[in-house]
Amino acid sequence: MVRNIQEEFTEKLTRALGAEFSLRWERDSKGVVTGWCRLHDHRHITTVALIVASLGGRVITITAYKTKDDQQRDSHEIAYHFDLDGCTCTVTIEVPGDSGKVNSITPILKSADWTERELQELYGIKVVGHPNPKRLFLDDTIDEGIMNDFIPLSIAMQGATSKTLWEKVLAATSQEGEVK
Amino acid sequence: MSTYTIPVGPLHVALEEPMYFRVEVEGETIVGLELTAGHVHRGIEYLAMKRNIYQNLTLLERVCSLCSNNHPFTYCMALEKIAGIQIPERAEYLRVIADEIKRIASHLFNIAMMAHIIGFDSLFMHVMELREIVQDIKETIYGNRMDLAANCIGGVRYDLSEEKIKYLARQLDNLKKPLEEITRIYMNNKFVRARTEGVGILPKDEALRYGVVGPVARGSGINNDVRVKSPYAAYDKLKVNVQLETGCDVKARALVRLREIQEAINIVQHCLKELPDGPTCIDYLPEIPAGEAVARSEAPRGELIYYLRTNGSDIPERIKWRVPTYMNWEALKVMMPGNKVADIPLIINSIDPCISCTER
Repeated sequence: MVRNIQEEFTEKLTRALGAEFSLRWERDSKGVVTGWCRLHDHRHITTVALIVASLGGRVITITAYKTKDDQQRDSHEIAYHFDLDGCTCTVTIEVPGDSGKVNSITPILKSADWTERELQELYGIKVVGHPNPKRLFLDDTIDEGIMNDFIPLSIAMQGATSKTLWEKVLAATSQEGEVK
Repeated sequence: MSTYTIPVGPLHVALEEPMYFRVEVEGETIVGLELTAGHVHRGIEYLAMKRNIYQNLTLLERVCSLCSNNHPFTYCMALEKIAGIQIPERAEYLRVIADEIKRIASHLFNIAMMAHIIGFDSLFMHVMELREIVQDIKETIYGNRMDLAANCIGGVRYDLSEEKIKYLARQLDNLKKPLEEITRIYMNNKFVRARTEGVGILPKDEALRYGVVGPVARGSGINNDVRVKSPYAAYDKLKVNVQLETGCDVKARALVRLREIQEAINIVQHCLKELPDGPTCIDYLPEIPAGEAVARSEAPRGELIYYLRTNGSDIPERIKWRVPTYMNWEALKVMMPGNKVADIPLIINSIDPCISCTER
């Protein structure tokens, strides 16, 4: 009998959360099924992680992003992309605006490790209970939650190939000349 | 015995890109590992949210050179899902051809590096010479040896004439015999075997726990090939034989790559035979409505995923991608302990690390 992992996931989620979520499955022209789920309470992500683990699934990645809440205030959402035997299921939660904290699922699904650390440093969302919550990529001199800031493209692109860089290099070398 | 800590990197002669490994050793034996990343973080994810969806096509091709075809490819698939675009059948096949050619070149590069690290430099040159055939193919068909610029929203930007099809088929044939010979050396040569067998073991249960992807997973017996598990482009019409090994060591991962090269040659040859007629791209500039989508593909190093949110404007609201190597780093903590200091670069190379992809 062919295992229907989507049905198993839906059944387990309904048993655990009742009506506390919405879920739909999409099938594309190649027959690939993709799931989209939204949890009403962010704390239920732990339950979802336990269900994914029990089905032998893994975390593909986690995306945090800025959005607006009902009162048009800035808020954050997190989309967890799980793999269930080849089927991608995205489970979205809203980060509580007052605390800015969510529970880590790394203790349940090891595959969430780096991506939770990354979203923490990029968006300033606290991931509670992560076994190794150190910075992953960004230098300590860069403020946490840098992705929340507005940086114009002209500034964001002041990289290795810009005129600005060469001006800095020339300024530094001419100063060295003066010291000599 | 006393424990020492030795720093490997961030710059190391055998690893072209910077990553810092803090290795705990007892005598010559590795007992622990800590990784520090972030030496070449470029903020491309942020940049991609400042540019429009068409500019991003060019930007994303430059995330990394070896899997540079998969980034715009997967990004296009996510956009096409949001806009409900069905690409022409000929474009689906041409996308597969571009992808498999890149896979051959990428795998050959990793295989060659392995020979270099174990000091078998004549083998290294032999493999790189073979790779040169693939580089010539890329240059002839796409006009470039690394970034192919093959994909666009709604199809591909290149086509294959009868003449080019003949050339490609001939060049692929030229790969076969030397590839068999090289595979035999990797399987049987006593020096290669001495350095790779039983080295850097990643048992299947640990591979599952860490969620590793690509040849690293398949070297530990896990079938998670995206081309088969969730087909895209023309892969639903093609037979892809997933290459699995159960050795779980450096040798197993190398053999998976060698067999995947052979498989990729078969796939391209099959595509050339079955290549349908018709257009290669949609004939209008699509508008991308508000929406969200995920798209996955099997890059040379494994599963690549794009998550895209749009709001009806031409600037993406959120674009996030996760590259294959990202999942494989932490598994080094399982592969390393128990091995010798001399095996550190070899084990790192066996996950085919891509730091420009990881840090973006």
